[in-house]
Amino acid sequence: MESITLSIDGKNITCSAGTSILNAAQELEIKIPTLCHHPDLKPVGACRLCLVEDEETGRIMASCVTPVAPKMSILTDTDRIKTHRRNIIRLMMAEHPESCVVCSKGNRCRLRQFAAQLGIGETNLYPMPNYKTLEQANPFIIRDLSKCILCGKCIRADHELVVVGAIDYNLRGFKSRPTTVHDRGLEQSNCTFCGTCLSMCPTGALSQNNKSYISTPALEALSVCGFCGVGCNLAMGYTANRIVEVNPSNQQDTVNGATLCVRGHFAHDFLNSGERLTQPLIRQDTADANNKIVPALDANNTMVPASWDEAIEVVADRLLKIKSENGPQSVAFLGSSKCTNEENYLFQKIARVLFNTNNVDNGGYVSGRPVMNLLDKRTDGLWRLSPLAWLEKAEAVFVLGADPGHSTPVVSYYLKRACKKGIPLVVADSRRTDLTDFSSAWLDLSTGNDLEPDYVALINGLAALLHEKKGHDDAYIKQFTEGFEQYSSGLASLKLKQVSRVTGIDANDLNATAELLQGKKIAFVIGSGILLQSCGMQAMEAVINLALMTGSLGFEGAGIHVLAKDNNQMGAQDMGAVPDALPGWQLLSNDSNRRRWEQLWQTEISAANGLNMVGMIEEAEKGNLKGLYIMGENPLCSLPQPDRVKKALQKLDFIVVQDILNTATVQIADVVLPGAAFAEKGGSFTNMEGRIQSFGPVVTPPGDARPDWEILGLLASKLGDAKHYVSLGHVRDEIRRLVPMYEDLDRHTHTAWITVDGRREGDKAVKTKTIISFSPVVSCKGEIKDELSDKDYAFTAIFGFVRYHFGGGTRTGYSNRKLKPDFKGEIELSPQDGKKLNINDQDTVKVSSRHGEIKRQIRLSRRLSPGQMFIPLAFNDNDAMNLIAMTQLGEPDSPGWKTCRVKVEKIEHQDT
Amino acid sequence: MEPKEIDWNELTAVIAKHEKEKWALIPLLQEVQETFGYVPPESIEPIAQALKMFPSQVQGVITFYAGFSLKPKGKYVLRVCRGTACHVKGSRNILRLMQNELGLEKGETSADYKFTLETVACLGACFVAPAMMVNRTYFGKLAPSKVSSLLAQYGKDKEEE
Ligand code: SF4
Ligand code: SF4
Ligand code: SF4
Ligand code: FES
Ligand code: FES
Repeated sequence: MESITLSIDGKNITCSAGTSILNAAQELEIKIPTLCHHPDLKPVGACRLCLVEDEETGRIMASCVTPVAPKMSILTDTDRIKTHRRNIIRLMMAEHPESCVVCSKGNRCRLRQFAAQLGIGETNLYPMPNYKTLEQANPFIIRDLSKCILCGKCIRADHELVVVGAIDYNLRGFKSRPTTVHDRGLEQSNCTFCGTCLSMCPTGALSQNNKSYISTPALEALSVCGFCGVGCNLAMGYTANRIVEVNPSNQQDTVNGATLCVRGHFAHDFLNSGERLTQPLIRQDTADANNKIVPALDANNTMVPASWDEAIEVVADRLLKIKSENGPQSVAFLGSSKCTNEENYLFQKIARVLFNTNNVDNGGYVSGRPVMNLLDKRTDGLWRLSPLAWLEKAEAVFVLGADPGHSTPVVSYYLKRACKKGIPLVVADSRRTDLTDFSSAWLDLSTGNDLEPDYVALINGLAALLHEKKGHDDAYIKQFTEGFEQYSSGLASLKLKQVSRVTGIDANDLNATAELLQGKKIAFVIGSGILLQSCGMQAMEAVINLALMTGSLGFEGAGIHVLAKDNNQMGAQDMGAVPDALPGWQLLSNDSNRRRWEQLWQTEISAANGLNMVGMIEEAEKGNLKGLYIMGENPLCSLPQPDRVKKALQKLDFIVVQDILNTATVQIADVVLPGAAFAEKGGSFTNMEGRIQSFGPVVTPPGDARPDWEILGLLASKLGDAKHYVSLGHVRDEIRRLVPMYEDLDRHTHTAWITVDGRREGDKAVKTKTIISFSPVVSCKGEIKDELSDKDYAFTAIFGFVRYHFGGGTRTGYSNRKLKPDFKGEIELSPQDGKKLNINDQDTVKVSSRHGEIKRQIRLSRRLSPGQMFIPLAFNDNDAMNLIAMTQLGEPDSPGWKTCRVKVEKIEHQDT
Repeated sequence: MEPKEIDWNELTAVIAKHEKEKWALIPLLQEVQETFGYVPPESIEPIAQALKMFPSQVQGVITFYAGFSLKPKGKYVLRVCRGTACHVKGSRNILRLMQNELGLEKGETSADYKFTLETVACLGACFVAPAMMVNRTYFGKLAPSKVSSLLAQYGKDKEEE
């Protein structure tokens, strides 16, 4: 590219043609004031504050939109420029209202800062404030557009970064303002309350709706969002040990850049919830039985406060006793996909080394870990390194059963941006989502002839068409795979008609989609529609086959992205908090792996897989499991059939729950250990891309609560572990040393990437020697006997998340602001069915399955087809889990957790 | 008289006509405006969907141009010029008289949707100042005495036949 030399404030610089003067100056570390410029947004030159002058020509120009030119001699801070800048600010101030004095933007307001820098006290202009009504009906964002300076950052962020389009300029001239369609409140628009615009606004025009704190937080510290597998980087503002504001951090190259979602931005109120656990508690009868503690006399078998020493001692004694009486299989450890890597490592080490059991799992099971692990096994972990940034460099993107707009919002931003760049986006889903509106092709699986959308037939069908069109990557297949012959002959036997019949998708549409994908490497995005469905395993095999056939695995711009729901779902399993693998994803079934760890830990490790989360409940039911240690999970809310789970857990002799909130599970515990939320401790999370992000504490835990790794360290010592984990560094050293995949953890910077097969982030192409084999073409098995459709259960209920409320809903449930005021987790139903059943918006209905029932209100939605029903998870203590049968995910007889057959009855009218 | 429900078929037809064009938005809006006499707010979403734009963007364009209106207008749109030349020639009085005769402020539409009164900055007809337009017809060299008869010409005070 052509390079250009110019001088700025007397310093010479050479840069490529097209660079803006502003960016060139930045490289010389010359600061030019800006209001409307943001490095992630297209420059528009709206505010003119960045004016500079060319000494040669005397020309004055806006540096953010003017490209460098040869021989320019730019001055950035002359008197002439300063006068102009002063006038610009004066005019803005004259239009500003007096409420400036009590503005919550305080000293962070850029307008105020520049006014101060330029020495503007009085504007000496006739004030003509532009009053607009203050908008604060929604619980998240206050809009006071009388303070708007029309920099357009909010609009550009909304269009270019999060691609929602809720707001745009309206009218023009003095009256112009960013507004929603029909100039309604944000809550009546398609705004997702991601707050990205809010963080960008230079003035107090947009501010957060926080009734409990209005001002600038005293201090700010960096952290990582704990609400989903994206792992957004946060800057948390705090005052007096309380987090009062959250914004995207301004570090370079973060996964989220300048964006966040509604949870990351606004759902941290739970940290200050009155339901936080602040001291260790011991159930009275436990204390008595143990004879070590003299509890306060209390007739109701309640929990009594205890010291940490007492609590840890009870836990150690009781668990060891159970183990020595009933064997290592009688205790189990349920770790957390929300806790840190360090914590999960210690947790499973305690289970394996001090209790000699592989009965260790984490809550990631609920999010479809069994199906995800198939990918690990089949690709040797190759898929794990999958930066989301690759999505915007893809040749084509294929989204299957995923609604990232709600589950992992930042992923949806990537996808919509990719789409805007013209990258073909194919979406297969049985429901209309944010993405189907954007997609180049929506393969609507709602009319297929089965309970679940038949992804297997769809993917195989497309593969067959691609093969027919010679759309496969011969070179890749030869170099990296085996078994293609058998696979392709399997494809050849598929009948397009048949595929079209079972998927409900027209043969022409299938053909058109195949043409769209032909000859391209594909980036796959896999969501819960596949991870939690009964044919998840077969669907995943089909995806792997298609990826291999199109040469899409191991390259930048292609690959398989699995939407990890939990913030440390990947890390928890990498650390070995799973029943079938050791840290670093080393399968127990592999003898050399096991021996290595036996040596490292100086212990014996059984080759038999332990119990997974569902297995633990089943064994507790049977009375085989006697003791359970739960860290940071709430199985009473997150597993299907909560009543059954509760009964099973109540049969246990001893149950310890380490958590931050007073959950349903805490209430049946014998010992409660108060842990710390992510913002209150150090650690690291591994996000869905394979990015290991370390962070330190922002505030301290409430009361006597302690960081979870500290609690585990205490317990390990008590149990006789020779190592004393007195600092996080000790744990990290051990992980770096023993787990090659994590050799970079917090080594150079707080962001590292996992190493798979000698490959790191930044490698553009596969280096692996691994040969991956195709699996035979199979079809999804027929109907599952328990879930036959019949006249009684005529509806298909689809379970999923809405962005405001998440996981089991435990944390978001304690966040005051998390709900749009008019959103109560209404069940969605198609208007056609509404009419047929005489059910209207806001009617209350009873929905029942063969396993249970729930009551909720209805919202009619055109996004659904007749016969479908969408039930948001996480509401009402996640009551929807009552409808689903608890079965082993990924097993051949499991109906999956994504859909079930239900019936619906109206029980009351809105007006009765 | 209420503005009648918009004819969705007609709207769909107009959208379909322009959907595939390269820079479709402005011509499409122009035709919608011409067909309905305004751009019905209900049409913003379908237009946006067809052109793969955000509804907020479509609204931004509609409200930016004075030529588009989100409110239904009268059968006759009276545009009194308030440009410099016309001002000098007394357009302020013309406007005042119009306001009195019609009982409308500028920007308003009569209850029977017969008249809409507007002002513009310059009609480009300064040589016949003071000037005004009724729909697409120009009137020049106006004088206060001519205002009533001009309005009568458009059936002021007469029932619509
Ligand atoms: S609301 Fe804020 S960000 Fe948006 S245009 Fe106004 S000043 Fe800029
Ligand atoms: S909160 Fe997010 S979606 Fe809403 S207007 Fe702002 S940027 Fe757009
Ligand atoms: S996308 Fe996920 S990680 Fe990012 S802010 Fe939202 S919940 Fe947090
Ligand atoms: S920063 Fe350059 S015009 Fe606003
Ligand atoms: S000023 Fe009235 S027509 Fe030009």
